[in-house]
Amino acid sequence: MNYDVMLDVRGLNCPMPIVKTKQELNKVESGKILKVLTTDKGSIKDFQGWANTDKTIELIKQETEKDENGKEIYVHYVKKK
Amino acid sequence: MTKNISPSELYEKMLKDENITIIDLRSPDKFKNHKIEGKDNFRILNIYYAQMIETGDIDKDMKNYITKNLSNAISKDQPIYVICSEGGTSEIFARNLSELGYDVYNVVGGMKEWFNYYDYKTVIETPELSIYQVSRISRGDLSWIIISNKEATIIDPLRHIEKYTDFINQKGAKIKFILDTHAHADHISSGPKLSKILNVPYYLHPYDAIHPIDMIPGKLNFEYLKDGDVFNLGSAKIEVIHVPGHTLGNVVFLLNGKYLFTGDTIFILSVARPDLGGRGETWAPLQAESLYKLTQLPDETIVLPAHFSKISEANDQGLYIEKLGNLKKTNDALDLLITKGKEEFIRFMLSSLPVFPPQYVEIKRVNAGLIEVDDEKADELETGKNVCALSQAYV
Repeated sequence: MNYDVMLDVRGLNCPMPIVKTKQELNKVESGKILKVLTTDKGSIKDFQGWANTDKTIELIKQETEKDENGKEIYVHYVKKK
Repeated sequence: MTKNISPSELYEKMLKDENITIIDLRSPDKFKNHKIEGKDNFRILNIYYAQMIETGDIDKDMKNYITKNLSNAISKDQPIYVICSEGGTSEIFARNLSELGYDVYNVVGGMKEWFNYYDYKTVIETPELSIYQVSRISRGDLSWIIISNKEATIIDPLRHIEKYTDFINQKGAKIKFILDTHAHADHISSGPKLSKILNVPYYLHPYDAIHPIDMIPGKLNFEYLKDGDVFNLGSAKIEVIHVPGHTLGNVVFLLNGKYLFTGDTIFILSVARPDLGGRGETWAPLQAESLYKLTQLPDETIVLPAHFSKISEANDQGLYIEKLGNLKKTNDALDLLITKGKEEFIRFMLSSLPVFPPQYVEIKRVNAGLIEVDDEKADELETGKNVCALSQAYV
C-alpha cells in the first residue's frame, strides 16, 4: 500500500491518535495519504467512526502488523480529500 | 478541578431523577448503538470529540469549541457529566469545561465501565429469606439472588460470575443450585459456568436446551426442570410453573407462594415477545395462554422480572418489582389480554414486535453450549439494551 507520510503514534491512547492524525493532515495537501501506526486497539473503531463523520478524509484501509517483539500494531491509511 | 463520578453514583442520581446533563463524546456510530438512558430530568448530548479538533492543540481546540458551540446548550449553574469510551477523552474535556467555569464530573471508566456495571438492591433481608436484585443497568438485565438459612440460589445469572460469587460469599451463604427461567437470547447466561466451577447443578427446561433456529440439540451439562417441580432452599420453597411462549421451555419460579420470578413473561411495562425463537406466529398463542395463566395467580403476588426497559420502571427503593394486581391495571399488554381476550391480544403482540437483533441467534448458540466466545466477542454480542419486550416498552 502506497503512502506519502508516516505517523507513528504507538503508545498513545484515545483521543491522541486521532488528534495527532488531524494535526498531521493540516500540514499536507489534498490527495496525500497518511499511514498511521497505533497500539491502541480501540483506534480501529475510532478511525472508522471518525471517517464516517468527517467528509474531509477517507479511510482507505486498516490492517494489523506485528512489531519485532510480536506485539500488534494497528495501521490506518487516511487520505486527505 | 475535575471531579470524578463512578457509574454507581451516577445511577443513584438517575434513580432520584436529579437534573442530569450528560455529554457523550463518542462517535455518532457508537452513540447510536448504545447510550445511557434516564428519566424525565435526564438529557444527553452527543458531541463527538473529533469534530472539536482543529489545530491539534487539544486543550485550545476543546475550549474554542465549547465557547463557540456549547455555551447555549449547557449552563454553568447545573452539573454536567462527561463520558466517552474508556474515560481518557472525557477526562481532558472535563478539565477544559471546568477551567471555563462549568460544574463538571468525569464519568470514570467511560461506557466500558458503565456497560459492565452491576447494581445491587435488597428486596427483603431476614435469616429465613433474603432476596437481592442484581441488575446490569446498561442492558436492562435483572437477575435475583435468594438466600434462606445460608443456602443460596441465583435466578437468571448474567455473564459476570464474580458479581454473584463475591456477593454471596460476603453474605456467608453457599450456592446450592442455579436456575434459568429460559435459554436467553439477549445475554449470555453464566449458569453453565457457575455450575462447573462450583460443582452445583444448573437447572433449565429441556425444551430450551435445543437451539430453536438451528434446530439442533445444545451441548450443555444441566438438570431437567419440569412443571410442578419444587426446590427446597433452606426453609424456602421454590415451585416451577411451565409457561411456554417466549421460548418453548420458559418457566417461572414461585417462591413461598408469594414472589414470582417471571423471567421473560411479564415485565413491569410490557410482556415478552414471542418471536425470538423464529416462530412468532406459532408461539404467540402459547404466550397468550401462559400469560393468562399467570394472571390467575393472587393479586398480592409480587412480580420480579428478568428485564426492564426504562429506569423509570423502578420503585422508590430502586427495585424493578410490582404486585401482580397492580400490573393487571398498569401494564397495557396485560390489561389488553384481560379485557379484550386472547385473540385480540395475539394480534396485538404480532403487530408490536421490535426489530429482531441478528446477534440474538448467536447468543442462543452460546447459551446452548454450541459455541464458545471470549470476553471481547461476548461484549460485542451483548452491545446495547435488551429488546425482549414488545415494542411499546421502548417508545
